[in-house]
Amino acid sequence: MINIVFYLLLLFLIITAFFMVFTKDLSNSVITLPLFGAILVIIFVILQAPGVALAGAIMTAGLTTAFFVITINKTEY
Amino acid sequence: MSRLNEVFKKLYKIGLVVTFAYFLLFLFYDIHNLDNNRKRYLSAHYISEGVQETGAINLVASVLYDYRAFDTLGEATMILTAATVLAFLVPISKATTFGTTFKSIVKQTVKLILPYLAVLGTYLILFGHVSPGGGFVGGVVLSIIAILLTITYSVEFSEYIVKPDQKKLVEDIGAIGFVLLGLLGVFTGSNFLANGQAYFGTGNAGEVFSAGLIPFINVMIGLKVGAGLAIIFNSLIKEK
Repeated sequence: MINIVFYLLLLFLIITAFFMVFTKDLSNSVITLPLFGAILVIIFVILQAPGVALAGAIMTAGLTTAFFVITINKTEY
Repeated sequence: MSRLNEVFKKLYKIGLVVTFAYFLLFLFYDIHNLDNNRKRYLSAHYISEGVQETGAINLVASVLYDYRAFDTLGEATMILTAATVLAFLVPISKATTFGTTFKSIVKQTVKLILPYLAVLGTYLILFGHVSPGGGFVGGVVLSIIAILLTITYSVEFSEYIVKPDQKKLVEDIGAIGFVLLGLLGVFTGSNFLANGQAYFGTGNAGEVFSAGLIPFINVMIGLKVGAGLAIIFNSLIKEK
């Protein structure tokens, strides 16, 4: 059972990564980044690496998104 | 014809990414299988002897702050340099606000969340050697307090709560304290940043006050990363 979930998560990881790179809209790309990070965090927890999972959750989902949103807000006028 | 051209261009881009990923996979697979037995002795030593030598249950912390503490010093210095250069280069101008102002729901929610974030960050820093977490993660959580204040209210309010001079002072305390803690190992007759080899007594593994220098280094790193990221964010948001 956990194998199926694991492979599904890996598949979604690839899908979100490709969407993030190839989408035209910048804000779509930025909002997909925390989704990618959240899937990666679940994969890390399944692989029993809680330290990396904590760092990834805080950095990718919180800090990076805030920085990118601020950057887009500052540059698009 | 042009439509076919566009499709071909998109396929070409996707093909480039896939080829790059395939070659990376090939490379890493090859490196990983170079010499199985000879590459594993160091990690086997860390896993079997790490708790006895450093006193930290969290083996990631024992590698980050004891065996490879010098690398951590480099990483922390990088954040210090980035924060200093940003605070120096970005001109102090009046901060531009966002297009829309938040409703009171968001402000009240942030007001409720902030104490929990402070407790979580402090917990992650102080218990970095017995549970997952550590200085970097806890510092980022502490810096998110200042970032949330800046986003939700304004830069002026955030800098009224936590003054920029206080943040710079805290960051300098973290930076200098790390080096002074490292020099403690030299004074006891061992190497720079030595912890388990310097005979401090690592204490009982699993208690909060154990593992020698590791909790103190965690506190210093947490102060430095938290203050540094807050300075970076507030400097960048002040840029026109």
